Amino acid sequence: MPDDVLALFRTRLGLEEVPPEGPFVPPETLPDIVAALKEMGFLLFLYCAATHWPATENRPEAFTVAYGLRRPGPGSSTARLRVRIPADGSIPTLSGLFAGADWQEREQYDLVGIHFEGHPDLRRLMLPEDWEGHPLRKDYAIDTHHFPWR
Amino acid sequence: MVDAHPSHEPVAPALVEVSGLSLPAAITHLPRPDPYLNVEDYEPEADAMALNMGPQHPSTHGVLRLKLFLDGEICFKAVPYVGYLHRGVEKLLENRTAIQSVPYVDKNDYVSPLTGELALVMAYEALLDVEPPPRAQVLRTILMELQRIASHHLWLGTFCLDMGGALGGGSSVFLYNFRERELILDLLEALTGQRMHYNALMVGGNRHDVPPGWEEKVLATMDRVEDRLAEYEAMTVDNHIFRSRTVGVGVLDPLLALEAGAGGANLRASGVDHDLRRDAPYAAYGQVDVRIPVETAGDCYARFLVRIAEMREAIRIVRLLVSGIPEGPIGALKPPRHVNAVKLPPGEVYVGIESPRGELGTYLISDGSPIPVRVKIRPPSLHAVSLLPYLCVGATVSDIVVILGSLDPILGEVDR
Repeated sequence: MPDDVLALFRTRLGLEEVPPEGPFVPPETLPDIVAALKEMGFLLFLYCAATHWPATENRPEAFTVAYGLRRPGPGSSTARLRVRIPADGSIPTLSGLFAGADWQEREQYDLVGIHFEGHPDLRRLMLPEDWEGHPLRKDYAIDTHHFPWR
Repeated sequence: MVDAHPSHEPVAPALVEVSGLSLPAAITHLPRPDPYLNVEDYEPEADAMALNMGPQHPSTHGVLRLKLFLDGEICFKAVPYVGYLHRGVEKLLENRTAIQSVPYVDKNDYVSPLTGELALVMAYEALLDVEPPPRAQVLRTILMELQRIASHHLWLGTFCLDMGGALGGGSSVFLYNFRERELILDLLEALTGQRMHYNALMVGGNRHDVPPGWEEKVLATMDRVEDRLAEYEAMTVDNHIFRSRTVGVGVLDPLLALEAGAGGANLRASGVDHDLRRDAPYAAYGQVDVRIPVETAGDCYARFLVRIAEMREAIRIVRLLVSGIPEGPIGALKPPRHVNAVKLPPGEVYVGIESPRGELGTYLISDGSPIPVRVKIRPPSLHAVSLLPYLCVGATVSDIVVILGSLDPILGEVDR
C-alpha cells in the first residue's frame, strides 16, 4: 500500500505496523476512514468480502469483512482494510459513499449473512427471496441436496 | 453525411479535477437518478406501467431480468434481478485445492475464460510467492490479448444484433464477427485442445507449450483480423442508423462509473485513463508499451470506439510478443502428481487483472491447509449491471437494449 494510506492508518488507528493485507478497523469508524480514502483519490470500489469463522476452542464464532479500493490512473495502487465483528454484530453500510458497495454488500448479506446497517435496499442478490440459510457459512454443508443443507 | 461525434472533434474537451484525477467536465457530476425511488411517489405524465424484460430475452446477454417502470415509453425506474446462473462457484472453490480450482473459473466469464483463470492462478501464485518463468509470462500475455480480441468480437456481434436488422441485413455483423472469432478459437484450440473452457493455466505456469508453427499461424490470423476490422467500421462507424442509436445514448458519469466499480471500456469511454495492463503490470505487460485508448463522450458510441481501438492495440501487442517468445520451461513448479500437491501458506491476498470487461480480481484467504478458507471473485460484469438503475432512467425501452449491450456484461460472471 502507498505511504499516504499507511500514514492515514497509523494516525487514525494508532498503529505502529500496518499489515499488507490491511489493518483491522473498528466498525464504527469504517465510514469515516473510507470517506478519507475516497478524498485521497481512492475512487474505484474494488471488493467487499465477508468470511465466516466458526467457533473453535480458542475463539468464539466471528466474521471478518475485507474491503478494497483502488486509486485509478498511472501508478495505480490499492488500499485494503478489514473489519472484525462478532457473530451477532453488524457493520455500517458504505453504499452511501460508493454506489458499487450496494450490490457487493447485498451479495455478502445473501451468501454470508452479514447485516449492513443503514443499507437502503438490503435484499438477497443471488439466491431466491425465500431461500433459507447463507451458503458461504462454514457450517453450511455442501453434500446434502435438501433443506436444511447441513 | 453523418453527424460529428464529440469524440472526433479536434478541440480537447474541458477537464475538471476530482481527487487528483482529470475527468471530462461535460459528463462529470451529472445528476444521478435515485435507484431506490418509491414507485408510488412518482407522478407519471403518461400511462405508468411495469414491464419485465427477461430473464429469457435475446438481448439480455444471458439470463438477466430487468423490471422496468415506464412512464409512457420512458423508463423512470429500473430494477435488475440477477442470480439466475448462480452456481456457488465461491463455495466450490472453498472446497477445492489450487489444482482442482482452475476449470471452475473458466465457466464464470465464458466469453473470456483465460482471464478468469489468470486472475485465480495469480492469486495462488501471490500467496505462494511463485514467479512463473519468462516463457510462461509471455505466453500468458499473448493468450490474454488473443482472448481480448475474441471477446470483443463476440461483444461487437451481439451488440449489433441487439440493434436488429437496421444495420444492413439482420445479423450480418454478428455472423461476420463469429467468423473472425472462430479463427482465434482455432489458435487457442491448437494450443490447449479446447475451444471454450481451456484449463490452460496452472499455479506457477502454463499447462501447454506452443505447437510447431503456431507463431506463424498467429501472425497470419492477426493480419486477417486486422483487415476485417476495417469492414466492421464500414458497417458501423459509417452507418447513420448505428450512430443515431448509440451517440448520446447512455451517457455514463466517470465518477459514478468509478464509485460503482465499473471497469474496462465502460470506464475508459468516460475519460478515465486507467488500465491495469499499464498501471499495475502483470504477466509480461511490463515488457510492452501498452497504449490505452480513452474517449471522453461517455456514451454507447464512445464505448464502442474504445473497444475497437482495444482490438487494434491487442493485435499490436500479440505481434510484438509472438515473434520473440523466450526459450525455457513453461512452469515454475514440478508438474503436480496429485491434487494436494500445492501446499498453501497462511495469508490473505488480493490480485486484480484487466479482463476485457474491467478489473477482474480474486481475494483469497488461506489458513495453511491445502484448500483456501475464502475465495471471493470480483467480477467486473456485476458492477457493470449495477449501473443499469442509473443509466436506464430517462431512456426508452429500445435504448435500454442498446445501453445494456454497450456495457458488455456476461451474466455467468455476474452470478457465479
